[in-house]
Amino acid sequence: MNISAIRKIIFSAIGLILFIPAGISFYQSRHLKEPVVLSPGVSTVKRLSDYFPAIKGSTDDCHIYFFEGKEKGATLMILGGTHPEEPAGRLAPWLFAENAVMEKGRLIVVLSANRSASTVTRIGGGYPPDFTIPTAWGGQKFRMGDRWSNPLDQWPDPEVYIHYPSNQNLAYVDIRNLNRTWPGRPNGTLTEKTTYAFMELIRKENVDIFIDLHEAELQYPVISTIVTHEKGQELATMVSMMLTDMEGFNIGTEFSPKNLHGLSHREVGDYSNAISLLFEAPEPFLDATRGKTTREQLLTGKDAFVMKAGEHGLLFEKIDENGWPIDVRVGRHTSTILQTMESWTEDHPKKPLVCRNIPRYAEVIEKGIGTYLHDPKKANSKRVVFE
Amino acid sequence: MNMFTYTEIILGVMVLVYILAKIFKISTELSMLAAALAGSLAGGFGIPPRQIAEGSITYLDINLIFITATLFMNILKESGGIAFVVRGILKKFHKNRALLLILLTFLLLVPGALTGAGSVTVLITGGMVAVVLNYMGISKSKTAAIIFIIAGLSAAAPPVSLWAMMTAAGVNMPYVGFFMPLLIPCVVAALITIFLLGWKGEDTNIEKALQELPLPPDKMNWFKVILPFFVFLFFIFMGRQWPHSTPIIGLPLMFLFAALTSFLLSPVKLNFIKISRDTIEQLLPLIGTLTAVGILIQIMTLTGVRGLLAVTAVTLPVTLVFAGLFLMMPVSEAILMYGAAPVIGVPLVLLFNTIGLNPIVALAGLSVIWPLGDALPPTAIIGRLTVQVVGYEDSYTKFLKTCIVPAVLIMIIGTVMVIFSKHLGFLTGL
Repeated sequence: MNISAIRKIIFSAIGLILFIPAGISFYQSRHLKEPVVLSPGVSTVKRLSDYFPAIKGSTDDCHIYFFEGKEKGATLMILGGTHPEEPAGRLAPWLFAENAVMEKGRLIVVLSANRSASTVTRIGGGYPPDFTIPTAWGGQKFRMGDRWSNPLDQWPDPEVYIHYPSNQNLAYVDIRNLNRTWPGRPNGTLTEKTTYAFMELIRKENVDIFIDLHEAELQYPVISTIVTHEKGQELATMVSMMLTDMEGFNIGTEFSPKNLHGLSHREVGDYSNAISLLFEAPEPFLDATRGKTTREQLLTGKDAFVMKAGEHGLLFEKIDENGWPIDVRVGRHTSTILQTMESWTEDHPKKPLVCRNIPRYAEVIEKGIGTYLHDPKKANSKRVVFE
Repeated sequence: MNMFTYTEIILGVMVLVYILAKIFKISTELSMLAAALAGSLAGGFGIPPRQIAEGSITYLDINLIFITATLFMNILKESGGIAFVVRGILKKFHKNRALLLILLTFLLLVPGALTGAGSVTVLITGGMVAVVLNYMGISKSKTAAIIFIIAGLSAAAPPVSLWAMMTAAGVNMPYVGFFMPLLIPCVVAALITIFLLGWKGEDTNIEKALQELPLPPDKMNWFKVILPFFVFLFFIFMGRQWPHSTPIIGLPLMFLFAALTSFLLSPVKLNFIKISRDTIEQLLPLIGTLTAVGILIQIMTLTGVRGLLAVTAVTLPVTLVFAGLFLMMPVSEAILMYGAAPVIGVPLVLLFNTIGLNPIVALAGLSVIWPLGDALPPTAIIGRLTVQVVGYEDSYTKFLKTCIVPAVLIMIIGTVMVIFSKHLGFLTGL
């Protein structure tokens, strides 16, 4: 056997040794079961395929949690997990799924809107496969995801992505971005079918307010804000004013551009009766200037490099040595959702939305998210669902 | 230890290991892999299999485009299509030097533009164009310089420009709007190069040139050459015209259909398996580079080294960055090859975006300068390949000197595009 052959065998062996544990890690994170201990307020758990059967059996056939109030009122829908690399966008609705009780009106909660994207991490991003939120009973592990659907579920990408129905040209990779495929297409790709299924849900359940939860890098101008469809301008402005006055954190409002297609704040408002809103919280983990990519950075939001960029005026949100902890980011979202319900109810007393048992901003920071996550081992197994 | 010291130490370790690997004559790909692993160890991450595996497939799609496009070009060459085109152009236009030079420029631009690889241009059309240039009375050093510079520009030209694609991916920027900002400077610079180095010479010795060029099969004709390109363009057209009724097949499969058409139309019987094997053999260094670069970038991101470079770049005085582009781009390419795009390109584009420049035009400007580094040591892969294919036997330094004038002009074009990118924003069509 010559040297070249020996070298090839050695390198192949090293490759195999590395790829077996890597494969196990990919398999485990794709199949990690995240328990949801249902709140007493959850009346029904459905599947997305109940609204569009073509999605049945696919990775994106996620759970839909329904909360019926004691009194009738409006219907509000919270969409979490559009971009699973933005953990506050999943954890805030998680607190609702495990704790919320509706007194008036109806609440619909989604935790893994793009479930496929929650089963893969960003290629080249150095992301951890998962993260753990500490709780009194040990801690709960969540999948870290990506911005785009898993190529294992949808591949290849087109040469250019032409949005349906606007025909606007978008980046080819965004055909796997759930927040670029609204209002969806029944015979489209998995991601397009998923948004179509959500549109069917919104229309069939007569959703009045639709909220899509996100996080953004600090170098991105659309941050710490409510992006609203023109139908929700008054509501969003009121929510922003109330939160800034009462809860001590700044949140602005931005209007959804009419010519920017595929985003939920534009298309849900255009293709249904719902008011569509999108909330953005700051997440330094997403910044390209970030330092070490770790679970700690993901959850504390502390980063010396992003701070340095801030000192040079390169950011659209402040950052100091306290970072942007996950409790702060989730607390912003829970308060903004609750304030939306309150401001809506003031304007629509005949269609109220009243929710209890959900912590606001200050309370989430004080007690931590883990306080509101319940031990699945101690819960009635019939009231535990896995995402 | 603060984040700056921590990442600076890791960066130092990575650079040191890379230099040591090069001293021990280890290939650039393995040197980058060694640097990545050393960085991971120094950062306290051990040898992380998941991160290595994820990094290694970063450019999987690009590799597939590379392979299928090159397979198409190789089948076209083996069927005699390329020789047919070169001979056809030479016979028809040998009396008109200017037109001949223009057509030869486009012959050199097409393979690299379609595949994103300058090496494909050198291998597919470079040798034959060199024969024609020699019989036009152009010296071997000038011929080599023309082939090298235009091959580099062809790699930067659209539709597939790896530097632009990799950098855009690194900043979450869609690879959209790049066509004209890349096409115009590449075509202009290529024409300037060929006229600058090839205008003076003797009348074309057509008989000798035709004697030396390979003879295409008798049954080869223009239809058989052009139809495979039409097949490729047909799929692009269908996808754009009826995007919601056309199945998504992806660029690699489109190239495969073009290759299949060329294969079926070939007047000579082709050994498909052999051409495929040769194609992989030919591309293995490039695939290896992209795989190693992916791992390197993944580890740099994991350890925070990418962040260090990014934050350093975006906080540098802008004038210093502009003034240094002519040096930074080719040198980074010479060391990291395509790895220069995510390592240097990403922070630069972030900086340009932050200071209000047009990131698409600015990145196109950078992409035009980068390929110049492919003639410089330690890698110099395309430069050496060109010299070999052209049959240039004089000193390598003389070849580099011949490249200087067009190279400087290209650097000026690229830098001007960056500085005035905002004014040139209309080129993107967005």
